Amino acid sequence: MHSEKQKHTFEPKIIAFVCTWCTYAGADLAGTSRMQYPSNVRVLKFPCTGRIDPVFILKAFQQGADGVLVSGCHPGDCHYIAGNFHARRRFAVFRKLLEFVGVDLNRLQFSWVSAAEGGKWVEVVTDLTEKVRAMGPMTEFKELAMEEQWSGAIDTPELKEAYNQI
Amino acid sequence: MQKFISEQNLNTLLDTLIAAGTRVVAPRMNAGTPLYEPLTSAAEMITDQLPRRSAKEAFFPVCEDIMTYEKEGQKVTVTDIDPSRFPETVLVGVRPCDAVAIPVLDAVFSWDYKDEFFLERRKKTTIVGLACTTADDACFCTAVGLSPDETKGSDLFLTPLEDGGYDCRTYSEKGETLVNRYPQLFSEPTGSKAVPLAEPQIEKFDLKKVKAWLDENFENPDWDSIATRCVGCGACAFVCPACHCFDIVDEGTEKAGKRRKNWDACGFSKFTNHASGHNPRDQQPKRYRNRIMHKFKYYDDKFGQTLCSGCGRCIRVCPVGIDIAQIVEEINKKDI
Amino acid sequence: MTKPIDTSIYTAVTDAIRTEAQRILSEGQVSAIVGYAAARRKGSAQPIVISQPDDAAKLIFTPACVNNLAVYLTKAKKEIPKSGKIGIVVKGCDLKALSGLMGESQLKREDIYLIGVPCAGVLASTVQPATELTTDSIAPKCTECDAHLPTGCDFVPAQTPVAADLEKKYAAEITRLEALTPAERWAYWKEQFSKCIKCYACRQVCPFCFCEQCLCDRNKPQMVDTTPRPAGNTAWHIVRAMHLAGRCAGCAECERVCPMDIPLNLLNRKMAKELKELYDHEAGFEVLDKGPLNMFTEKDDQSFIK
Repeated sequence: MHSEKQKHTFEPKIIAFVCTWCTYAGADLAGTSRMQYPSNVRVLKFPCTGRIDPVFILKAFQQGADGVLVSGCHPGDCHYIAGNFHARRRFAVFRKLLEFVGVDLNRLQFSWVSAAEGGKWVEVVTDLTEKVRAMGPMTEFKELAMEEQWSGAIDTPELKEAYNQI
Repeated sequence: MQKFISEQNLNTLLDTLIAAGTRVVAPRMNAGTPLYEPLTSAAEMITDQLPRRSAKEAFFPVCEDIMTYEKEGQKVTVTDIDPSRFPETVLVGVRPCDAVAIPVLDAVFSWDYKDEFFLERRKKTTIVGLACTTADDACFCTAVGLSPDETKGSDLFLTPLEDGGYDCRTYSEKGETLVNRYPQLFSEPTGSKAVPLAEPQIEKFDLKKVKAWLDENFENPDWDSIATRCVGCGACAFVCPACHCFDIVDEGTEKAGKRRKNWDACGFSKFTNHASGHNPRDQQPKRYRNRIMHKFKYYDDKFGQTLCSGCGRCIRVCPVGIDIAQIVEEINKKDI
Repeated sequence: MTKPIDTSIYTAVTDAIRTEAQRILSEGQVSAIVGYAAARRKGSAQPIVISQPDDAAKLIFTPACVNNLAVYLTKAKKEIPKSGKIGIVVKGCDLKALSGLMGESQLKREDIYLIGVPCAGVLASTVQPATELTTDSIAPKCTECDAHLPTGCDFVPAQTPVAADLEKKYAAEITRLEALTPAERWAYWKEQFSKCIKCYACRQVCPFCFCEQCLCDRNKPQMVDTTPRPAGNTAWHIVRAMHLAGRCAGCAECERVCPMDIPLNLLNRKMAKELKELYDHEAGFEVLDKGPLNMFTEKDDQSFIK
C-alpha cells in the first residue's frame, strides 16, 4: 500500500500555520483518507488565519524552518466572517517586506484549503516541500543567529571550536 | 619614554601586529558610520573622525555571552565562557575622552564584584591614545577638567606633529612593551612642533559646585523643564564612553541556549520597572535626572570620580537635542 | 551639484508662530504649546513645552527644527499635561502623523490647536546643527515632500515656501535595491542591521509606536530576541516595519535619529509604495476611519495565494 519511500540527502523542515476550521480539517481529511504527503511538514493549528501574526513566520525561519506555509479558509468561508480577508492583506504586505530584506519568497507559501480539500492539502504540501528541497537549506537566518557584534565575538579558533562542541 | 613614529611606520606596526595574530581595533568606516572595529589592514584606519560609539565596547561589548546551557533528558550542562581566552588586543587611535573613561570604569567593574569579562579584556588590551586637533561645538572635555591631549588611560600616546608623523610617549609598562617589541619602527624625537590642539569653546565647570547643587536638588522643578522632552531611548547611554549599565537575558530554547549580557540604559521606562508593576522612576524626567545624578554625583560619592569625559556624543545623537553640557553649565551658573 | 535651499521665509514664519502662540496662550485658548526652541549649540533646536505667554518668544522655526512633535501628544509621553487644549507646531509631514493618530482614536481634533508651518525643508541630521540647508544636507524625506504647506490647521503663517525640485532620494534607492538579487539585498540589510545597538531611538521618536507594552520588550513569549546581535536586530527591524505598514506617515524620524545611520525609512517607504500599489493607500492630511491593513475588499489581490 505504501509507495516506495525515496531517499533524499536533504529533508527540509516545513512549518505550516493553519486555521483550525478549514485547512486543519482538510489535512485531517487527507489523513483519514489515507493520502500520502511528505512528513516534512509540521502543522501548527490556530483559530483563524487572522490570528497568525507575521512574527510567527519570522520566528519559524529563525528557529530553523526551511519553508513556511500559511493556510486557511477560502475567502467568504471564514468561521469568523472576515479573518482571512484581513490576513490576506497583511500577508500580501508582509511577503513584500520579506522580499525587500532579501528572503527568497519561494520558501513562503500561502494557500486556501477547505475542509473538503484533502487532495489540495497534499498537493500544496508536496509542491512546497519539493520546491524547498530543490532550493536546499535556508541558511540566512541560521547564519545570522551565529553572528555576534565584533566586541562580543569570541574569535580565537580554539575557543570557537570548544564553543561549537557545546 | 619619548619616541617618534612616522605615519608609514605606524601603519607598518599595525599591519605587523595584525599579521602576528593580535587583534587591532581602531576607528574605521562601517557602512558609512565611523566605529571602533577590528582592522584587517592598517589602511582602513581613519584618524579624522570621532567614532560614533565609544571605545568602551572593546572591554564591555554591546552584547556578550557569559554562559551556555544544554539539556539532554534530565541532565543539564552549564558551561561558563572562559575569559582567559579573550584575544590580545591593541586599541589604536583612541581619543582622550574615550581613553580616560576606561580607568574610571575600572572602579565599578572591580568594586564589590570583580567583573572578569571586563578585567580580563582590560589586562589583555594596550591602549594607544591620539591627541585631538579638531573639535566641534558638542565637544566639552575641557569643561570637565580634561584636555585634548589628556594621557590618562593611554598606555602609549600619539601627538600629531606639524612635519608629519607622531610624537609618541609611553605611560605604562604595556606601552613600553609595545615600543620595545618593534624598536626599528620608532626613532628618537625629532623636536618638530605638534599640530595645535583642538580648543573646545566652553568654559570649565566647577564640578564641586555642580555636585553640591545635585546633592540638594533631587526634587526640583527644573528636572521637568530639562527632560520633559526626553523620549526615553538609550542612544545617549549607548554612545557614552562611561555609561556601563547592563542587562542579563537568557536566549534559546528549552533544550539549549545562552545567557547574554547586553547594554542597558536608565532612560528606558522598563529599566526600573519592578516585577510587581511598580516603577519608582515612573516619568521620563526622573529617568533623565538619574543620568545626570549618576554622572556628576553618585559616581563621585562612591568612587570620587566624574562619569563624564566630555566627548559630546550624547549631545550629537540625542533625538530631541538634549545637551548635557548646557544642563551642567546652567547648574554651574546657579547661586547656591 | 550642491545648491542652497531657500529658507528665507523661516524668519517671518518664526515671528508669526510667536505672535500666534502669545495670543492663544494669553487668551487661554490653549493650556500649553509644544514647539521648537533654540539650544546651546549654534543653529541647534530642541522641542519645548511652554505654558506662559512670555515664553512664546522662545519659539523658533529653522532648518534644524527636525523633530516630529506629534510624538509628545501620544500616550507614550505621559509627561505632557493633557488637560485642556494643547497647541502644537507642525510641519506638513508631522500633520500627517497627527491625522493618523486621530484616525487611530489616539487624539481628538478638538483637543488640539494646530499651528502649521510653511516648510521648505529641514536638515537630514542634526549631529552638526549649524549646517546650511542645501540640496545635499536636506532630509531625504523633503526631496519627496508633497506637503510643504499643511492644510486644515487652526493657524498657518502667510508665507509660501519655495519648494525646490529635487532628486527623489528614497525612490532612487528603493529602485536600486529592488533590482538586486535576494541574496544581495540580504547582504545589504545584514550589514546595516548589524550596526544596530537596540537603543530603540527609532521606536521612541515614532508617533505610531505608542504601545505601552512593546511586543519586543516582552519575554513571555519572547517573539524577538532583545540582544543587539545581528539576529535580534534583523527581527526587530522587520517587526517594526511591519507594525508601521499602512500607518507610517513618512516623517522619517526613525532614520534621522538612528545613531548608527541605518536607513530605516527605506523600509517604511518600500511598505508605503506597496500599499499604494496594492490598495491605493497614501498617508495624507485626511483622517481615515481605518488604515489599509484594518480593512479589506472582497476583490483584494490574491495572486500569491494557492
